[in-house]
This record gives sequence, structure tokens and C-alpha cells, in this order.
Amino acid sequence: MSGGPWRLADADPMREPSPPAVAYAAPDGTLTLFNDYSDGVSRLFRGPPSGPARDPVELWNARRERRGPARLGPDEPVEGYGVFTFPYGPISMGVPESGRFDVRTYGERVLALVPVGGFKARGILDSLVGRSVPDAVLRVERLAGHLSAAHTSAFLGACESAAGRSIPETELWVRALAQELQRIYNHVHVIARIAEAASQNVGLAQTHALGEEVLRLTGSLFGHRWAFGALAAGSPLRRLERSDRERAAATLARLLEEFESLWALFLESRTFIDRIQGTGPIDRDAATRWGAVGPALRATGVPWDDRLRQPVAPYTDLYLELPKEVDGDALSRVVVRAEEVRASFLLLEQMLERWPHDPSVEHAPWPAVASGRGLSRVEAPSGDLVYDVTLEEGRVRRAAMRTPSQANWPLFALGLRGGVFTDFHFALESFGLSFAETDG
Amino acid sequence: MTSWLGQSWRRGLLTTAYPAEPASAEEVPESARPPRPGSGMVVPAEAVAGCPVGALGPSSIDDGTCIRCSRCLAHGLRFSGPVEASTSSRPALVRSIPTATTGVEGNAPMSRFGRSLHVFMVDVGSCNACNLEVLSLANPFYDMTRLGIFFTNSPRHADVLLVVGVPTAEMVEPLRRAYEALPAPKAVLAVGVCPTSGGIFVGNSGLPGPLAQIVPVDVFVPGCPPTPLGVLDGLLRLVGRARAPEGG
Repeated sequence: MSGGPWRLADADPMREPSPPAVAYAAPDGTLTLFNDYSDGVSRLFRGPPSGPARDPVELWNARRERRGPARLGPDEPVEGYGVFTFPYGPISMGVPESGRFDVRTYGERVLALVPVGGFKARGILDSLVGRSVPDAVLRVERLAGHLSAAHTSAFLGACESAAGRSIPETELWVRALAQELQRIYNHVHVIARIAEAASQNVGLAQTHALGEEVLRLTGSLFGHRWAFGALAAGSPLRRLERSDRERAAATLARLLEEFESLWALFLESRTFIDRIQGTGPIDRDAATRWGAVGPALRATGVPWDDRLRQPVAPYTDLYLELPKEVDGDALSRVVVRAEEVRASFLLLEQMLERWPHDPSVEHAPWPAVASGRGLSRVEAPSGDLVYDVTLEEGRVRRAAMRTPSQANWPLFALGLRGGVFTDFHFALESFGLSFAETDG
Repeated sequence: MTSWLGQSWRRGLLTTAYPAEPASAEEVPESARPPRPGSGMVVPAEAVAGCPVGALGPSSIDDGTCIRCSRCLAHGLRFSGPVEASTSSRPALVRSIPTATTGVEGNAPMSRFGRSLHVFMVDVGSCNACNLEVLSLANPFYDMTRLGIFFTNSPRHADVLLVVGVPTAEMVEPLRRAYEALPAPKAVLAVGVCPTSGGIFVGNSGLPGPLAQIVPVDVFVPGCPPTPLGVLDGLLRLVGRARAPEGG
């Protein structure tokens, strides 16, 4: 924990050509957006050994066509006396999702680890092809339910950019509202999972209760606890009248107080801090070389956040400051998340106060002739989420995504090297990784 | 230590009175209830044609397929069905429309479990929303342990295999092995429309089909995702303690 928070001025890419400028190098001169992975290190993104035309989204798509388990981290052989591979998963109660971890070990120390995904591959991106945008949205929402607001916003943003279609600003505010609520939920959930792993049972119960209240608030504003179906323009599920917003603001003020008092107690808890301090460390160099995103990147001292770097409405009009952490361990990542919870509460307060006067713009249906390719980036709870959508006559011709989990799996694997088994959950949860949004 | 106690004390009792009392509006946002036509209403053909999962027919509605997308609301249907919508058979989820509002599902004939339940959750391809709603049952608002329901860390200690997600090709074998690891008597709970019917993912390439084609299912819980109370209803139905449906 050092230094003050970052402000918009710090995040000026011209002033500070920070490592993301390298990590996000333009592979073909047109796309300046994707993480650049070193050759041969990650199997997922192994492209041509050199040459400029390396588009990780294309490579990811190519991989999707080969079904079966996908190895999501650096896969270097580690040998030695008594070293064996311990497969953890795909079914275990410790990780409430389906995925496997191949741990190279001689009994206690994790010498190397490879996350293995592909168990949850539902073929969602392929199923979008040929569908209208509203039908595609039903599927994108259900790609990763706990991140649905970010995924839906990014997908819709890419479609709108592809169709060259502008939408009422209110729609962007609605999306941001849902996203910030989900960011709070996800960050609080990470803290709850870590409290659980550290046997902080009162802390777990109280944090879990806070998460439930955020879901209930989402349910009361969007008619659905995960905001499914509520982000499409003109959705009958929304309850965002003035009285609803005032009620929400009052609830949020109470929840922020709850959070502050809980977080203060966690920071005082030696057991909690001891388990995450120094756990699963990654340094700034590794983070940028591997293209880490989100809190994992910001915890190593790199000030990249799409909400500041590439702001769209309403973020252009709102005050947002980012926490600054430099140690790159699980504690730094959790502190970054906790500070972001605070920042999101502040953003929500500003949004609800300054909600744009709705001129009740009639939302036109998707034009049948809309064609083109569009990109959209959204700062999801665990980092930069990219959708790349090609439309043809109003229907999806191709859809690709690069999710924060896809970007961060190798960092988790690297961070756990040299750790012990009991570090596993603390490291995993602090990255906020999801197999659902990795497999698609 | 004292400060944690103070925190708990200040928060007070949060736990719901369900199932002794009916679910409150806070616990169940509107889309948590299955859609139903108003009484005497004829379902318009546009509503049937507009249903993206084919759950709505002219004279029936399939709760096991409905993803609560809200499209039929534009044609006069309302999210007004009961919270207690789980059933012990797949066909029973298809409600015929004139009686949809009165259909009452009894508790599952599962006398083999009368008291407590130990539950092992398996995700066979979910979006995580169901996983998180199931885990929510452990939070102070729902506190399932007061009803004798517990999570276990191993299928060998479990009575119930709780399955979330649409089965993927990769998960069929792990699922079968987890099912076989459960000691008898055992039960399977399908949580959400994904394991029940495939929901929105029906027709995606490489999916082997609904859960019931892989392992026998005892209770189906509709919803996308079901709320924690919906999941609780399914678990209580297994032990013959489900609340009688109200509303809708």
C-alpha cells in the first residue's frame, strides 16, 4: 500500500506509456486492443513464431473449434525426485465450478500448475452465428451469469459500433448501473471466499449477507437478481423511476456503511491478512509481459482501467479514482478490490443523483441492413473484456471475445509456483477467475 | 474478536421465515416467478411465436424450458406463477394453461429421506449464476442448516447430487462417476432450466442433451437461475416438507 490514488490525469497514455501500451501492441496496425502473448509460452495463444498478423481473438476461435480440454497456462515440464502430477478437479467442492488443475508437486510445494479448461464449453459464441442481436443477447447474458452486465454491455457495444448505430445515453447509464452493482457483488464475493478459506466464519457470514443485499437491490431495480433481460432497450423488467432510484440510493448508503465496518474488521484480522500477504505474487514485469488485466494488473502498479483510459458515457462525467497497490500479491489484489467496491458505491451515488432526464426516446428496432465489424471494451470486475462482433444484415456473422479470465489464467499459474497447497484458494479467488467465461 | 461479535449483534437476525411463512417480494423479484396468462386469457399467437425457447404454446407453458426472458410480457402474460414450482417429474413442469393457475404439485414420494439432507453440488456447464444462488443458501438470509440441509465436500458423504448447468460432452463422464460415488439411497436434483431441458442452449453443437438422459433425476427446479428459495423448495420437496404453492 503506497502512494495516493490514481486520477484521470495519471492515466493519460501519452504521459505515461505504461506497459499496457506494449501488452496491447497493435498486431496488424488496426487492432490495438489485445494482449500480446509471448510465443510458445501459452499454448492457447501460440501463433506464428513471428510476424505482425497475430490476433489472439482469432487464435482463440481457432482453438474453440478443436474441442476438448484446453491448457490455460505455461506448460513447461518440471521434473525431479518424487515429482508427480496431481489432478484437482473437474469436480470438487473447493472450486464451485468445473475445471481441472494439474499440479506438479512432490507432496506439499506447488512446483508448477496448469489450469485446464474446456469442461464447460457450451458452444455459446458459435450459437450466436445467424441470430438477431436481441436473440444473441439472451445467450451472451447466460455465458457467465455473475458477469452478465459486463458481457451484455460489451456485446451490445460491439454490435452498435458494427451497425454504426447510436443509442440514447440513458441506455449507457442503465448498463453502467448494472455493471457497478455487479462489480460490488463480485468483489464482495471474492472477499467472502477468502474469508471462508481463512476460516473467518463471522466475516464470511456478514460478507455473504452483504452480497445477498446487493443481489436483492439488483433484483428490485432490474426485476432479476443478475439483470438478465433487463439491459435490452425497452425491457419491461426495469424499475428505474425516480422513487426507485431514491430508494436504491438510500439502500446503497446503508450498504456502504456495512462494507466499511466489515472491511475495517478484516484489515485488523491477523489471520485474514497473514493468509493473503505474499501469496501468489506476480510482479509488474510478469503482469505486463503476460498481459494481465483488471485488479491483478492494477495490484502490480499499472494504472490501466478501461473506465479511465477509454471512458464512455456515463464514466466521462463521473468522478472515479483508482486504488494504487504495487506488491502484486493476493493481499494487494484484495485491497484493490475493496477500494474498488468503495469507488463503485461512489459511482452509483453519483449516477443515481445525476440520472439523465429521460426524454423517453423511442428505441428503434435493430435495422435489418446493419452490417460491419465492431469492437467494444468494458472494464469487467476482473478486468478488460473485449468483444469483437461482425454483423451481416442485422444478424451476427462472427463473434469473438477476450475475457479477463482468459487473460489472467497464466498469471495465476505463475503466481502459485513455489507456493504450497493451502495457498491455492487464496490465490485463485484473488484473481476472480471463472471457467464459465473462459470456455464460452 | 469483540468487534466481530459487535458486528453480528448490530446486524441482528436476518434469516427468512420461509417456509413457515410465504416468500416476500424482496426475496423473490418478479422474474423469479414463472409467467402465466391472466385468467380466461387466450394466449396470443404472437406470444407463442415470439418465445425464444418454445416454452409457450397456445394451451400450455413449459416451466422447465422458460428462461424468464420477459418477451411474453408484451403480450399480456405476467410473472405470477408460484415460487414453489419444482416438480418430481419432467412432464409435470409443462402446465396446461386453463389450469396453470391452480396446478398444485405434491411433495415428492421420497420417504427415503425424511429428515436431514447432505448435498453435493456438481456444475456440468453452468453460467455460475445457479452455483452462486445455491451457495447463497448458506448465507444468513436463508441459512439452510436450520432446516437440516448441509453441503458436503465429497459425493461419498452426500444424499443428494445437486446438478447445475447444461451438461457438456466433457462433463458426462465426471458426472456419472460422481453419481456412482453417492451411497444409496441417493437422489438427484436438477437446478435451473439448463439441466432440465437445456434452456437457451438447446441446439448448440456438441451438447449431449438434458440431465435426465444421463442420470435419473428426482426433482426438477425451474428458473434461470432459480432464486435461493426456489432451490430450497426443490430440496424440501425431496424430504416431503415443501410449502404448498401460493399465488398465481
